[in-house]
Amino acid sequence: MIAPALILSQVKALPALASSALRLGELARDERSAAADFEQVVRPDPALTANLLRVANSAYFGLRCRADSVRQAITLLGVKRVSDLAAAVALAPVIPARLPGYDVEASAFWLHSVAVATLAERLAAQLRRPCPELTFTAGLLHDMGKLAIGSFVGDAAGEILAHVRGGLPFVSAERAVLGVDHGEVGGLVAEAWSLPPAAAAAARWHHAPGDAPDDTCRPVVDLVHAADALAHALGLGADAGELARSVDAGVEARLGVRARDLEATAGGTLDDIHELAALFLRQPGGTP
Amino acid sequence: MSTLTVDISDLKVSADPDDLIVTYALGSCIAVMVHDPVRVAAGMIHYMLPLSETSPEKAKARPAMFADTGIPLLFQSLYALGCKKEHLVVKVAGGGALYDDKGLFSIGKRNYTILRKMFWKTGVIVAAEDVGGAKSRTTRLHVGTGRCTVASQGLEVEL
Repeated sequence: MIAPALILSQVKALPALASSALRLGELARDERSAAADFEQVVRPDPALTANLLRVANSAYFGLRCRADSVRQAITLLGVKRVSDLAAAVALAPVIPARLPGYDVEASAFWLHSVAVATLAERLAAQLRRPCPELTFTAGLLHDMGKLAIGSFVGDAAGEILAHVRGGLPFVSAERAVLGVDHGEVGGLVAEAWSLPPAAAAAARWHHAPGDAPDDTCRPVVDLVHAADALAHALGLGADAGELARSVDAGVEARLGVRARDLEATAGGTLDDIHELAALFLRQPGGTP
Repeated sequence: MSTLTVDISDLKVSADPDDLIVTYALGSCIAVMVHDPVRVAAGMIHYMLPLSETSPEKAKARPAMFADTGIPLLFQSLYALGCKKEHLVVKVAGGGALYDDKGLFSIGKRNYTILRKMFWKTGVIVAAEDVGGAKSRTTRLHVGTGRCTVASQGLEVEL
């Protein structure tokens, strides 16, 4: 078991997310904000500016004309997309080269994060549901708890994997050995990074959406849960837990999702996931 | 020796006896590994989904994504190298599953069911297999010898 104070100190020791990303998230949620407000936040951040333009002009987004300025990118992509991209640009440098406890390299962690973000959004579209705000960002950041407790998991890897081989889901094995799991710690990280409630809830409850309190953004949590399960099933960013993950018994009814929806979403999204993940792999400086 | 990596929804064939064909992170996906000891050639597919009817457009661009379009393509690619059906040794791995009481994410099971149906119809015999379970698998196939291994949960075994 790890002392709660030790976990908190690890959470506080994590590098901060770029403040520009957080500010853009706030602006995206404020209906009074204008494109000029976004521009003011993005322009002083050269890495964000460069990456935003590069990603905006990639084939993934298929813009009809080229965005040469931040203002154009915001106009062409929309504020929500720019905010999602800023979250991705902010997360990439925070991921360490390797998370030993989870036996995963940064590139695999990144692929999984992008896969969950993209699958969650596309699953909502497949189900003909309105995609809740912040679904992409919440999917992208759902595993941030792993960044804080990776070293503890590394020290206890043998014991955790013994539980997994005995038939326990990985997250339950974490809890059995450490007293916490990466979901719970993800909730603390979200608090430390001042993330919005939907992203915090998805991090906290993505392995047990049925246990989330009624006042959480459950549709986001359910979509991220289903997308996480699908990404693991498809081997997108496989880690030490392999397929030892539980599917929530209520998610099928709450989302109205069927097996064929999952297959159609997977088939239609795979290439986009790889393309989007690769865009950030080429990001200059300190990225996976 | 070259290592040929088979990505998800991809297939590779080779007639170079020094080549090694490998695929990583098979979850619910399935790898079919085929070796012809007479022609000395081999091939592997890593397909993701059972039936192309879920995304017919995608099946045209990426036939190896689906069992029903990818597996025939794997065999045709081997025949094009001069392999004969009666010499082929076929092995199968993957088809894993999450802990999922309701079977919502039963992609692995469906992937395997379709494969068995196709092989039954076409008279293909599976020489060895390692399927199911909450496992992620990495498979390796040596073109020269047909030696095939499956690694999962920290252990690598011969198939």
